[in-house]
Amino acid sequence: MKLSPVAIFILPVMLCLAIPAAHAFDAASALQTAERLQGPDAAEFSEAQARLEEVMIALADKDSAEEQAPETAQAEDERDAEEGRAGHIADPLAPLNKVVFQFNDKLYFWGIKPVTQAYSHVVPEEFRFAFANVYDNLWSPARIVNNLLQLRLKAAGNEFVRFAFNSFAGIGGMGDMADKALGIKKQDADFGQTLGHYGIGHGIYLVLPVFGPSSIRDGIGLVGDRLMHPLTYVKSSNLTFGQKLGIIAHERVNSTSFRIGDYESFKEAAIDPYVSMRDAFVQSRQKAVEESNR
Amino acid sequence: MKRFMSIIAITLCVIFLSEAYAESPMEAVKGQVDKVLEVLRDPSLKSEAGKKVKTKKVRAIADGMFDFTEMSKRTLALNWRKFNLQQQAEFISLFKDLLSDTYAEKITSYTDEKISFTKEARLTENTVEVQSIVLRKTQEIPINYRAINENGKWLVYDVVIEGVSLVNNYRTQFREALSNKPPESLLETLRKKVGKA
Repeated sequence: MKLSPVAIFILPVMLCLAIPAAHAFDAASALQTAERLQGPDAAEFSEAQARLEEVMIALADKDSAEEQAPETAQAEDERDAEEGRAGHIADPLAPLNKVVFQFNDKLYFWGIKPVTQAYSHVVPEEFRFAFANVYDNLWSPARIVNNLLQLRLKAAGNEFVRFAFNSFAGIGGMGDMADKALGIKKQDADFGQTLGHYGIGHGIYLVLPVFGPSSIRDGIGLVGDRLMHPLTYVKSSNLTFGQKLGIIAHERVNSTSFRIGDYESFKEAAIDPYVSMRDAFVQSRQKAVEESNR
Repeated sequence: MKRFMSIIAITLCVIFLSEAYAESPMEAVKGQVDKVLEVLRDPSLKSEAGKKVKTKKVRAIADGMFDFTEMSKRTLALNWRKFNLQQQAEFISLFKDLLSDTYAEKITSYTDEKISFTKEARLTENTVEVQSIVLRKTQEIPINYRAINENGKWLVYDVVIEGVSLVNNYRTQFREALSNKPPESLLETLRKKVGKA
């Protein structure tokens, strides 16, 4: 029987329980007396209440003297550990970062959001969806390389098959046919994560104009990923720098069109949006690095 | 020590009882999430006037879904003791409204998408993580509910969206807010935030 060893353990514990329980009954019966007396005799009631309070205080004293101290210390340790795990990031540039944060905030509300809304109004969802898939497919080489660098060979292989299939059979990835027809899901990986995978920390927190929350490590990651993007290697005789920027801007607006409202609800929930965003950044990047170790 | 042992004993009893008779954590969480979604999807509450009713209803459901005392202690961590009893009680009540609103706000943007509950992962003896995925057109968003067993009832004490724990996120914000200001000023901020100023 599966229960028996546990029962053997519980029985002595139950006996130990009986002693503090007896005290509890003291308090409980005093409370009952107090309640019963409430109606008829106020003087007796207050006396009973005083007695109850005495019992409670005695119990509390005993508790704090005997057990509470180590217990709270333990709970504190746990909470400390949790706080440590919650992730901390050095933010010596906070004053500057806050200025850039405000800039990005205004950029969203005054620039990106109205432009995106107009764009969504003109371009039907199916088209935006196809664009999103094409843009996403162009990031596939970066995912393949990073998965390889993180020695996630299966993920790298899957991503490679996806890239080949979507690019040739799926017309540049418009419908993400690799997912639909082959059932191969995207295997996310980026260069900041790769650096984290090898134990490199964030350095300090940075809020980048336009790009948002980042760090020295992840800033380098952004550059690294961009260097693995095919667009970087298109000759300037085919696409000028301005045209490339236009494509990147369109990619941004197109992807934002599926997320209008997310930033607003984030701000609505925050007590301090700057701190909230920094913490969310640290937490989600930490999770990305943890996933790379699986 | 006796008390510690008794806590262990009670926990064990609860685990056995709950495994034998009570619903699974996933069923419990899913049931509550479905109730919230039902309110959020209610077409009769789509109007501006319906918004207030909606908030009220969600807050009521959240009452039976979350363990707000546990959440408050976890978010304030060491700062919990800077609050006197009265402030602690007020904090719990304000934080309750804030969390209900935040949760509703976050989940509102997903109401049109399919939400599927995928699995349960045991965290400790009496805590479990119930994992769900929101299927958006361009991405999948994982939402994990961390639930604690309170006398056979599963109550959520943290919601982790895309790897970001709500409790941890608020903890960092509260720690920053309390680093140079007294508890009263944080309470004032919260009152304004939930419309009880």
